[in-house]
Parts: sequence; C-alpha cells; structure tokens
Amino acid sequence: MKVIKITAVWCSACLIMNKRWKEIESSYDIETISYDLDFDEEDVKQYDVGEKLPVFIFLDGDKELGRMIGEKSIDQIKEFIEGLN
Amino acid sequence: MVYLDYSATTPVDDRVIESYSAACKRFIGNPNSLHKLGLEAKEVIDASTKQIADILGVKPSEIIYTSGASEANNTAIKGICLKYQNRGKRIITTELEHSSIIAPLNYLVTLGFDVDFVKLDDKGRVDLKNLEELMDDDVILVTIASVNSEVGIKQPLEEISKIVRKYKKCFFHSDMTQSIGKEKVDLSLVDLASLSAQKFFGMKGIGALIKKENIVIEPLIHGGKSTTIYRSGTPQLPLIVSLAKAIRLAYDDFDDKQNHIKEIHDYLIDKLSKLDVDINSNEYSINQIVNFSLRGIKSETMLHALEKDDIYISTQTACSTGNYSMAVFAVTKDEKRSSTSMRVSINYLTTKEEIDLFIDSLSKNIKKLGDLR
Repeated sequence: MKVIKITAVWCSACLIMNKRWKEIESSYDIETISYDLDFDEEDVKQYDVGEKLPVFIFLDGDKELGRMIGEKSIDQIKEFIEGLN
Repeated sequence: MVYLDYSATTPVDDRVIESYSAACKRFIGNPNSLHKLGLEAKEVIDASTKQIADILGVKPSEIIYTSGASEANNTAIKGICLKYQNRGKRIITTELEHSSIIAPLNYLVTLGFDVDFVKLDDKGRVDLKNLEELMDDDVILVTIASVNSEVGIKQPLEEISKIVRKYKKCFFHSDMTQSIGKEKVDLSLVDLASLSAQKFFGMKGIGALIKKENIVIEPLIHGGKSTTIYRSGTPQLPLIVSLAKAIRLAYDDFDDKQNHIKEIHDYLIDKLSKLDVDINSNEYSINQIVNFSLRGIKSETMLHALEKDDIYISTQTACSTGNYSMAVFAVTKDEKRSSTSMRVSINYLTTKEEIDLFIDSLSKNIKKLGDLR
C-alpha cells in the first residue's frame, strides 16, 4: 500500500506521529511518500489538505482508500489500516 | 482602535523608541573596536547588560543577545543537543510549545534524536508523574514553556525543575517569551530561558537567551566573539539599549500594573461568560491571556468581522493549516472548540471601555453570523 504523509516542521502532532508511523511501517507493507506542507507546496496542492495535520492518505494505485488526520494512537492507526481492507 | 492582541506583539513604548534613537545617534562605534568610540560603545552595552541582568537576577555573562525568541529557542535547543549528543539523544517537551520549539525538535529528529511529549493534565499542566516516568539518563534536554501563548496556561516550573535536577546530565530550558516582562520570574529554576522584547513594549528584532554561565553550547552563528562567543555578529547596540529600557519599564510599578490587569481580566471573563462562547483559559492561565471558542462560527470569520469595527484580537493556528488549535485541544479535548478558538490578550494599557467595545462587537457579530448559519 502507498501512503502520502503530509506534515509540517512546526507541528507537534506531526512530530508525535512521525515516531508512531515508523513503528507502523515496520509492521505493515507500506511505501510512504512524505511531503512537507510548506516546503513541498506544489506537490501538496493536489491533495486538498484540510485544517488539521498530519494527514495520511492511503492509496491503492491512484485510488484513495481513506484519510487519517491528526494525532492517533498506535492502536487507532492499526484499526484504521485494518479497516481499509 | 481597540488592540487586544498584546501576546502577539506590543506597540513600542515611546520611551523605548527614544532610547533606541538616542543610542543610534550618539554611539556610532563598533563595540569591538579598540578606539575611543568603540570603547564608549562597549561601555554602554556593558551598562545595559548589567541593568538587564540585575532585573532578571542573573549574571551579565549569562545573557546572549539574539534577534528574538525564535533564535533564542533555536540556539538553546540545537546548542545543547548538538554539544551533548554523546551523553544521550532524548529530549522531552509538551504539545503546548511554540513552533520555534517544535521546528528545531523536528530537525533534530532527522539527526537521530528522539523526542517524547510529556502528558498534560485536564487543565493543560504538565503531568509531573508522567514526567518522572519519562526521565532517564539518556534525556539531555527538557524544554517546556513557562506560559503557553494560546491559552495562557502557566506550568509548574518549580516542580518540573525539581524533577529535572535529579538528572545531572540533563538541561532544563524554558521559553519564557510570554512570562518575562509580564510576571516575575525565577530564572534559578532553569538552565536556559528565552525572551523577546516585542512582548513587553520593546523593539522587534531583539531578544535574549539566558544561559547559566557554566554551560557550554554549540553556537548557531559562528564568527568570533561578539558580546559572547555563542552569537557572533556586530553587537546590536541600539537594540540592546532599548531592551534594557523596555525591561526596566516593564517591571516599574509592577504591582499596580498587575492589579489593573487582574481587574480587566475579571471584567472580561464576566462579560464573556454571558455570551454564547466557551472559555478555554482556566484558573492556571495568566491574566493577560483569555482564550475562548465560538459556537458554530469560524474564528477567522469573526476576526474579520471584529476588524471592521477596528477591534483586533487573534486566532491561533499552531499545528494547523486553518483554524484548528492543537493547544486548545490539548487543554479542552474538544474538537469543536479547537476549531473555533480566539485569543484576547490584554495589558496594563487595556481599559474597561475597550473591553465594552469588544464585547458589544462580539455580541453583535455572534448574532449576525449565527443567523447566517
């Protein structure tokens, strides 16, 4: 599964989630493409990011399977991923 | 005009502008020059530094002038972590920190550092038990703001300091941008503290990092000795003189100012509590900051509606691309309130008449914008 991860350097929830996401990446077959909201403005534009960060967009090819937004616990992330299948 | 955004920045006191202007005209030498003009300039900087140090209860050698609090925070965090990375790689902070704390921490993570966030209690204060659990010999830095800029929550620095002090290899930094000049501070509780003059009627472009004399850090700006080896560049003499003036004025008639602010704060809370809003600040918030949430109206929409009446408050958008506030969520655990929060920040210049004008406009616009829902 491909995941677009959108964060920002000034975002505390993004910093919290970065650590948890590394743990998730080691348990699932995930390819993460990371974008920074400010530095990668052009790339991020196409994803219609809302008001809250971080944003994880789960893709099957080009098809969006779902979005996980904001700070989540490891269990919540797992539950979300398993709910996509 | 009704300005109620003093925590974002303050207007510069005329007396501070005068001291800045006089210093610009009178002291033209580079303080590092050996001739008479240079020595005069150095003497003025030394005298200003001593004044600031005396007011803050630190040594002159413990003051590192910076361009503001963001540089001070970066200097403290990167300076400690890069210098002491062989001792450990862990850093502890909170979700209530300013972006100039979070961004350098994000950078340090890319260098292999590990950041943990201490839990907050239901009032937004550091959970001391959790801090004790998180601490170990691998933690080299704890960085916790004395007062959060959005909700105004004041942290128990004395208790936090006691916990951090048990670990000899760990340093304690506090971003005191919302404290210094607004409340009396005890800098003996921390190893490093950041301040910014523009929060207490000083000039923009000058701040300081207070660093205990015996602590060595890695400088951000290399280039030889200035007023200190930790921040190179020609010393910004007029700004330093203006900082000394601003900090002296901030603590003049301090108790009278505090009493006035308390009276205005209580008046504001009383008026706000009668409107259709939720107040997010609590008993641990400083009197200068009152954060509240609108019900079903976007804060940015309200900000511009108030602006039309020449009233200026702020929406805080830390960790957000729009109106969402992580700090308000951390304190309230309420998603809706976190999306519609606004901050009023007052100071000793604020009057009851200004609060009345603000409340009248807010009340009028709540009705008007609410009807459009």
